[in-house]
Amino acid sequence: MPASIPRFLRQTASRLPAKTALISRERSVTFSELMLEVTATAECLREIGVGSGDRVGICMEKTVDQAVAILAVLFANAVVVPILPRLKGPNIRHIIENSGMAAMITDTDRLTEVSEFAQVTRLITGHGELSNEWPNLPYMRKFVRSNDFFDQIGNDNAAIIYSSGSTGRPKGILIAHRNLAEGADIVGEYLGTHEEDRIGCMLSLNFDYGMNQLWQSIRFGCTLVLHDLALPNDLFSLMQRERITALPVMPVIITKIFDKRLKVNTQRFDFSSLRYVCSTGGRLSSYMIADLRNAFGKTKIYSMFGLTEAFRGTYLPSDKLDQFPTSVGQAIPDCQILVLDEAGEECTPGAVGELVQRGATVTKGYWNDPENTAKTFRQHPRFPGETLVFSGDKVYKDANGFVYFVARADDMIKTKGFRVSPTEVETEVLRHPEVMEAVAFAIANIGVGEDIGCAYTSTSGEPVSEAVLRQFLKSNLPNHMVPSVLLHFESFPILGNAGKHDRKAVKNQSYERLGIPPPSVSAAV
Amino acid sequence: MNEIIQVLSDYIRNETGHSGDISPDEDLLTSGIIDSFNIVSLAMFAQERFGVELDDDDMVRNNLARLSTLAALIQRRLADKA
Repeated sequence: MPASIPRFLRQTASRLPAKTALISRERSVTFSELMLEVTATAECLREIGVGSGDRVGICMEKTVDQAVAILAVLFANAVVVPILPRLKGPNIRHIIENSGMAAMITDTDRLTEVSEFAQVTRLITGHGELSNEWPNLPYMRKFVRSNDFFDQIGNDNAAIIYSSGSTGRPKGILIAHRNLAEGADIVGEYLGTHEEDRIGCMLSLNFDYGMNQLWQSIRFGCTLVLHDLALPNDLFSLMQRERITALPVMPVIITKIFDKRLKVNTQRFDFSSLRYVCSTGGRLSSYMIADLRNAFGKTKIYSMFGLTEAFRGTYLPSDKLDQFPTSVGQAIPDCQILVLDEAGEECTPGAVGELVQRGATVTKGYWNDPENTAKTFRQHPRFPGETLVFSGDKVYKDANGFVYFVARADDMIKTKGFRVSPTEVETEVLRHPEVMEAVAFAIANIGVGEDIGCAYTSTSGEPVSEAVLRQFLKSNLPNHMVPSVLLHFESFPILGNAGKHDRKAVKNQSYERLGIPPPSVSAAV
Repeated sequence: MNEIIQVLSDYIRNETGHSGDISPDEDLLTSGIIDSFNIVSLAMFAQERFGVELDDDDMVRNNLARLSTLAALIQRRLADKA
């Protein structure tokens, strides 16, 4: 019955107490050790004052302590709110305020950046050295008795993941305990996850994709090996040494690990234990598939697709990849994928429509945002009483029912696995005193998904020094949000007589100047 | 050796906009001064700037993430050439 990750951990810790659950550079823990640490940490959180339903931020690098912190928040009946460590002040402040964050667990490396938030939320360290100022969970939990007081039901809130849309600030996607539990079961079913698996986790635990690896470990009793990807040789050595069986990646990761400049000879490693590679978050190009095959031989490759609002939507069975290499596959178990036209009717094969999902992984909506929730989480007359996710993605199905991604219907940019709204980028560019107007746009770059370009006009009419503008942006934006291309315009074309600049024309002119086609529309080949 | 470290530090400051000090012994990935994209650019820059070739085996975090170890590696490769 589980319906929650804590319930899964209770079962697995009881069934496989001595089995290694997590491994990192620093340490490893068994399932029973993990259960003890997590329930002791939850008790610490309770004593610090974290209450049922409280939103608790986690702003930590990937370590066993981070996984413990995440699980402890769940066991404390509170709600996990991941905060990407690379985010800067204004982004973090937005998440704290929007979620009504009661406490934030961080690590000592990050304290200088987040200490300004001590006035608005309670700071706690979950990793690193003891300090006089902030409670330190690894220290505290040594003196506290483990206490399993988890009492949430499947429908209760488990996490809020902030993700950008096409406009405005990131929205918090509200996820129930049941969503997480079913996500573990569903992915486990189509990937064949089992107790003997050893998952190589390069993914961040700050997003649903990475977290799902942790949930799968807990659900199936397999080992999760945490790794910060920097250089492919280190990853390949790890895969060999740890006998990794499962490697979840994204296109940007594939690009990094097969970077030809590094002259890595993949043939000198033993990847015979590798059962599968799975990828989501962007298009899997033929070069990427070739690189994976060349390095990993007969390992299965799964191409997948999904949006955080419904965790995951589709997967392509690995034996279908050669025949349908550009497809993202069929609906995941216990979900249905519909391709709907503007009238809400299902499209015929080949006809492009909107991807709409119903089923187990549909989340609860956007936190405290009924207006945006109503736009994306909607009813459909064919399914009375249900809430479906209208993705805004343009797709089509072929005669076999396999789905193909075509384009976004809106302006949202997908870069290096992150969703970025153009307005977020524009807001920062506009903060520079010499910039007058700005329009951000996507530039197709299959290696990372898309790059960000930004056209701007200046108060002086002259271009702003690129180095100066770039430095300014880097200090306010995480790397993945800094535009790769900055284009100065003397003036922007105007739209009608309202005086507003014509975004579409600005973008088209930008693409022309860059000598590239706009990144959309034509059927994926 | 110090000159090599200086050149590398300047490169990193230019690339990343980092304005503070860079300790030769700190792991730049851990401290967040560089990321997994920068580290490759750093290795490419080092090869070009000092006219050395780094092997497949050299391209590991233990060599490239600290200025002291990267500089030592570059010196070894320079000595190999001589």
